[in-house]
Amino acid sequence: MSNEIIAGVLEIIMNNALPGVAQACIMLMCAPLIAGIINKTKAQLNKRQGASVFQEYFDLIKWWKKPTMLTPYTSWIFIMAPIIYFATSFMAAMMVPGFLTNTVTFGDAFVFVYILALGRFFMCLSSMDAATSFGGMGGAREIYVSVLVEPAVMLAVLINASRYHTTTLSHMVMNYDAAYFSVSAVLACLAFFMVILAENCRLPVDNPDTHLELTMIHEGMTLEYSGRLLTLIHLGSFLKIVVFLTLFGALYLPFNIPLVLKIFLGAVVIGIVEIINNKMRLFKVRVYLAAAVVMLLVAIIAQ
Amino acid sequence: MSIMKISPEAMHETAHMFSIDNYHPLTAMFGRDETASGLGYTIYMVFENFEKRDMDIAKAVFDPHGHLEYETLTKLVPAAAWFEREIKDMFGIIPKGHPDPRPLVLHENFPEGFFPLRKVVRKNQQERGKREYKMRTSDGEGLFEVPVGPIHAGIIEPGHFRFSQAGESMLQLDAKLFFTHRGIEKAVEGKTPDEALHIVERICGACSVSNTWSFCQAVEKALDVKVPRRAEIIRTLLSELERIVNHVGDIGNMPAGVGFNPAISLGGRLKEQTMRLCEAVAGNRFLRGVIVPGGVRQDITHELIVEIREVLKKVRFGVADMGIMFKEQDSFQNRVQTTGIVPKEVAVDLAMVGVGARASGFAHDSRKDFDYGMYPELDFEVCTHKSGDVAARLLVRLEELEVSFKLVDQLLKLLENCEDNTLKADLAYNGPRESWGISESPRGSNFHYVALDNEGKIDRLFVRSASYANWPAVPFAVTGNIIPDFPLINKSFELCYACIDR
Repeated sequence: MSNEIIAGVLEIIMNNALPGVAQACIMLMCAPLIAGIINKTKAQLNKRQGASVFQEYFDLIKWWKKPTMLTPYTSWIFIMAPIIYFATSFMAAMMVPGFLTNTVTFGDAFVFVYILALGRFFMCLSSMDAATSFGGMGGAREIYVSVLVEPAVMLAVLINASRYHTTTLSHMVMNYDAAYFSVSAVLACLAFFMVILAENCRLPVDNPDTHLELTMIHEGMTLEYSGRLLTLIHLGSFLKIVVFLTLFGALYLPFNIPLVLKIFLGAVVIGIVEIINNKMRLFKVRVYLAAAVVMLLVAIIAQ
Repeated sequence: MSIMKISPEAMHETAHMFSIDNYHPLTAMFGRDETASGLGYTIYMVFENFEKRDMDIAKAVFDPHGHLEYETLTKLVPAAAWFEREIKDMFGIIPKGHPDPRPLVLHENFPEGFFPLRKVVRKNQQERGKREYKMRTSDGEGLFEVPVGPIHAGIIEPGHFRFSQAGESMLQLDAKLFFTHRGIEKAVEGKTPDEALHIVERICGACSVSNTWSFCQAVEKALDVKVPRRAEIIRTLLSELERIVNHVGDIGNMPAGVGFNPAISLGGRLKEQTMRLCEAVAGNRFLRGVIVPGGVRQDITHELIVEIREVLKKVRFGVADMGIMFKEQDSFQNRVQTTGIVPKEVAVDLAMVGVGARASGFAHDSRKDFDYGMYPELDFEVCTHKSGDVAARLLVRLEELEVSFKLVDQLLKLLENCEDNTLKADLAYNGPRESWGISESPRGSNFHYVALDNEGKIDRLFVRSASYANWPAVPFAVTGNIIPDFPLINKSFELCYACIDR
């Protein structure tokens, strides 16, 4: 009896967790490269030479080697938040149907969305922990954006859920027909891309390159971090972009090309979008995300 | 230069007479220590008189042993607020009933009763002490404060900003500036104008031509020197080049406040081209070392004229490109329009100058208001806009660039046709003299007052830069906007810290 249980558990681990971990590790290795490609695209379009696409690896190594400074006024949340943020991104990377987990049965869409929300929640808490002015402002804005992003992400998930009658991401992917080209698919594709920009703090919602603390959203929350904790936050953010691009490629981009190519294509398009847009007024973000929600609603109806 | 001598009690009445209910802007107000000549401390009031194309100047004389007090003028002439606080810091003459009696220039780390511009204080005298400097704050349910600076991210000069916030909306902004006060006005005392020139040139990197020119004008007027025509043309040309460099840099910097990348890159490229042109003309990127009292130090050769034409032709295309880029980017227009409005009444009451004033519909341009340089002979328009927002300040700069390109064309033609090759007139010092000079820098008018003693050495230099006049308007512009828009509003004024930390 007990042997059966152990065997069952082992089977689940072998079939589900191990491929998931392996996949997340691969995505983690590639994540800084994707960020580097976005930066290189932007630099080239600005007629600058730009840093090498591998620059983010060097930056991460640099931050990892630096000492981690902590103010005596912070609590355990300040240390735990980057770890949780990274861990949630990593879990999301395990769940997202990509290369190795297509046959896996875990990875419910709702769990996926709220695992990421958990990481964000802890980042917002930590932004207030050090009690600096910029951190609190960044945290408040992050909550404002995420409240608006949430319905859009849920609707995007529901489109596929209603089409394939499942909320398991891998089942959706297995059934996904890339040649299925309809109004609904195009709208969902565009809207989900808008959501990716908002969710990952890219232009036109947030400016990842700015040094102006007063305008920051995500960067504002990370201002107090240094050393290894900062490395974890950055790794987590890079990984999150890859996770979303993978999901985008696997479920929303209606072209029949390899997934890896779709991810790289997505990175280049993010770079281009960041060049042709400037940051919108903070209170216009709701209009932007409302547009995404409406597109998704129409996509559901048109389906 | 005629100066009305009045008693401290008559200051109110005189200011009222000169300003005509703020119709004539207050250009400057400054103290001077004339105890050596037995007069005591004096406060100069300088009002601009459009009709006479001149300044109305009055000086109030205070007995150094009597009460150093007078009724504040700020309630009558709001533009006097900073000047009165600075006089209080520097000379200890107290404006009674001033709405903001805090120190301005000397922060907490200076002792009470230390007045650096009095002659009894030595140069380089070291004083440390403690005084009070309270930031303006607000109190209430749900309100909070955001302190920013004095050390900023990025290469910016020091300034502390205290925002009183209701959520993202700014209720009030208090700016604490003057962190790096250099004491230039004290440092040049006892130096000849030629020696002081090197210091005056370095007051600011953005408007060194304008500062130098105003200073030289003041010295030349004091000594009744007529500057040769060729020198005047070259000075005017340099001033327009400086305007082009700065306006190109400023409009290229504004999109950085909203993360509009292609415009930032284009602006940076154009600014570099213009600065290299400056290096070819003057031997340095800030056009320093050319203007000297009496004329200019070096000529602009025929080859240089060709180069200026060539480079500016390219830059002109680039600027036109940038204008189109701004107009066609809807999301950029959405950010700049109706952001950071300075109403015309505020601009007039605070006696704003330059781009800030003209964007609010206050047509104030010393190139038109005064006769200096070649401007009376040149054909140009003053560019104004009415809306007073960030977009207006951007448009004024774009239009002024076009005007400056045309002015440079006219000036180069004048230079080619100028037969006279003298570059510099000789200066002869005789007796105590005083006078003022004004010139339009890229940010607005720069006013200098110079008093020379018996030996032709500087007894008092006062510098009222354009930034000094416009800084008090920034808190008015930001109120009611949201805090993420502050960098953009601030960049649209592009005010200088060095200009006020003189």
